[in-house]
Amino acid sequence: MNEETNIYEEEKLRLQNIANITNLDAGFLEYLQYPKRILAVSVPVIMDSGELRIFDGFRVQYNINRGPAKGGIRFHSSVSLDKLKALAMVMTWKCAVTNIPFGGAKGGVICDPKSLSRKELEKLTRRYTFELIPIIGPEKDIPAPDIGTNPEVMAWIMDTYSMDQGYSVPGVVTGKPVVLGGTLGREGATARGCIYITISLLETLNLIKGEMDFAVQGFGNVGFNAARYVSESGFRLVALSDSKGGIYNPKGLNVLKVKEHKDKTGSVINFKDANTITNDELFEVKCDVFIPAAIESQITARRALKMKCKVISEAANIPTTIGADNILRDRGLVVIPDILTNAGGVVVSYFEWVQDAQAYFWTEDDVNQRLRKIMKRSFEDVYMKSKEMKCNLRTAAYAIAVTRVIEATKTRGIFP
Amino acid sequence: MIEKSVWEMTLKNLDKACDFLGLDDGIRSYLREPRRVLEVSIPVIMDNGSVKIFKGYRVQHNTNRGPAKGGIRFSPEVNMDEIKALAMIMTWKCAVVDIPYGGAKGGVACDPQKLSVGELERLTRRYVFEILPLIGPEKDIPAPDVGTNQQIMAWIMDTYSMAQGYSVPGIVTGKPISIGGSLGREGATALGCIYTLHDAVKVLGLNEERFEIVIQGFGNVGWNAARFLYDSGMNIVALSDINGGIYNQNGINPYEVFDFCKESGTVYGFPGTESISNKELFGIDCDILIPAAIENQITEKNAKDIKAKIVAEAANAPTTPEADQILNDRGIFIIPDLLCNAGGVTVSYFEWVQNVQAIFWNEDEVNQKLRAIMDKAFRKVYEFSKQNNLDMRLAANINAVSKVALATEMRGIYP
Repeated sequence: MNEETNIYEEEKLRLQNIANITNLDAGFLEYLQYPKRILAVSVPVIMDSGELRIFDGFRVQYNINRGPAKGGIRFHSSVSLDKLKALAMVMTWKCAVTNIPFGGAKGGVICDPKSLSRKELEKLTRRYTFELIPIIGPEKDIPAPDIGTNPEVMAWIMDTYSMDQGYSVPGVVTGKPVVLGGTLGREGATARGCIYITISLLETLNLIKGEMDFAVQGFGNVGFNAARYVSESGFRLVALSDSKGGIYNPKGLNVLKVKEHKDKTGSVINFKDANTITNDELFEVKCDVFIPAAIESQITARRALKMKCKVISEAANIPTTIGADNILRDRGLVVIPDILTNAGGVVVSYFEWVQDAQAYFWTEDDVNQRLRKIMKRSFEDVYMKSKEMKCNLRTAAYAIAVTRVIEATKTRGIFP
Repeated sequence: MIEKSVWEMTLKNLDKACDFLGLDDGIRSYLREPRRVLEVSIPVIMDNGSVKIFKGYRVQHNTNRGPAKGGIRFSPEVNMDEIKALAMIMTWKCAVVDIPYGGAKGGVACDPQKLSVGELERLTRRYVFEILPLIGPEKDIPAPDVGTNQQIMAWIMDTYSMAQGYSVPGIVTGKPISIGGSLGREGATALGCIYTLHDAVKVLGLNEERFEIVIQGFGNVGWNAARFLYDSGMNIVALSDINGGIYNQNGINPYEVFDFCKESGTVYGFPGTESISNKELFGIDCDILIPAAIENQITEKNAKDIKAKIVAEAANAPTTPEADQILNDRGIFIIPDLLCNAGGVTVSYFEWVQNVQAIFWNEDEVNQKLRAIMDKAFRKVYEFSKQNNLDMRLAANINAVSKVALATEMRGIYP
């Protein structure tokens, strides 16, 4: 969409801004600006045609002072090292702001999983995992699903790592199928966390008045579940979208019917009880809460000028550019930042890892209650900090995260 | 340090070898790309209390023939492209001399001259700690390179050993003798070069008593080559370093130059010799020219002036492709770098073998074993070049690439 936005450069700017506000010294700022480790690997795969193809794979471990590295693995043709660096940095802040004992990581392979056969995808996954083995592990770095990967891919990662070790190691990866040690409640976790946070904000700011209208961008795992929970929580869903376009009905949309339509036609557009709109028009829909739940850099300065919502709840990672962020702030829109809003996914990944480590599993209610507790506490921390610092929620969330990471770094000291 | 052209040249040489071997696109792209590239951030508390961040790298190009092997470079110019090219060259070098290693290279972008001993030690230890998951005596074995030395290898060995909980001398080569280094390591590259020279003289049927020799560079390799050749009665007519060259048709005693150099910091101006420019050095009438300095020294500008019968590439990539063509056309025999300077990594291999078996060889044994390896490698490459009417460089490249491609094919693509 907005190809000129380099999200790594933008995240460095956000970090520099926080460093200025919190008086972080130059050495430690520099320390936080670069990943601890970047591993780039060559992934050879024998394709079904018999031909040998080489794919580029990466794993970035950003910071592990607060615990093992944690972050998803993305299989997509748009994967780049800079993107992964930014996403790994954001994972570091996300784990810190929710105070779970993880550092940040991210990985990916430049490939188009849709054009690979299932067998090719399995071979690619297994070889990629094999190349990463020296730096991953349940105490070191724990991957998870991201764009283009799913529980099945996680199962292959778990199996490859376990075969190498000689025994089953379910805790090497999260987002696994439940049968292999996955947790209940993982699939809807990001969306659920987003709704908890959004409701907390609306209640705290006393914004719930009459019918509340929501618009959701993206209809993947997070978008669909967020839309579902919006409806289940008694709010009105007026607009939805996917990569092909959006649909709008001011009287409300039935999410499950839209899902049926998408399963049948491949897209949400042309749903019969709504007007089909463009992605640009989606951002201009009049609503109370807008939930970006697609990819990076979707809320650009141009779109930010036209948004007609009161609250933006960032279920996607890094959906808002810095330019857009400034416009939204000046226009008085409340943005609940990604590192808080969408942290539900990594929090339940953390629960999965805890359950694997203790080999004792919780009920779905247990998982959801614990998630709610962490999200609520994190929201309160960020909200109080924003009052104390007289700043917006993003700045407050980053300040908490950076302070926690630096505190851990300084307490541990610089080795050797 | 290394220009982009060396990376391109390395790839071009690979392509030529692949063309000759008829390798398909899959295996070609497999061989072009490093297996693993690790980039790490190295925080160091400087002596003044501030924290400074350095960038470190380790590239493992190919490990199908054995553990990865290659030096660690500390220099301000270190960058990813350079390290990738050098790692690939190491793969071919180990294959040419048939030692069971793949290729690697590492480095830290820093100026070691500007660091205190304490800072350098902390930098080294933290760098090693960050690359720890990838290295090990069965996985990847570093060695000295530009800007690193025995002391740094000792710190690497100590840091790795502390992490393991016991001493692991085989984690690194080029160590001090006191902690498992090999005798004969220091002069190994020069000696290996001289062994290949002996082989070349024999196959070319040259039978002068006292060859006239010109050596460019007076670092570890240049100085040791000069010393060994002088000891065996050869006539060193010219030497040089970065400041310029010295020339005497009747011969130069390298030991005296070494002492002079210690005081003055350069060979230039050594009494009893004619001072010459580095440019003039290549035009001197001689039998053997040994470039033992840096990359890209023999160019299309000076290649036509060279009067030597043999050019022995003790340096890495001293000859540009254009100059290579000119020398070949003029019938000058080149002992290519892959073969000529492989003595260093070969004795590194011996050091590792001695560490693994925990029985140590005397210096004669080391040198004899080195000679056997260099002679065999030279013979194989030379015979192949004759049979197929190829120049020595292409023959060496094909020899190396075919071994790595065969190992890859036999092992298959995992999983």
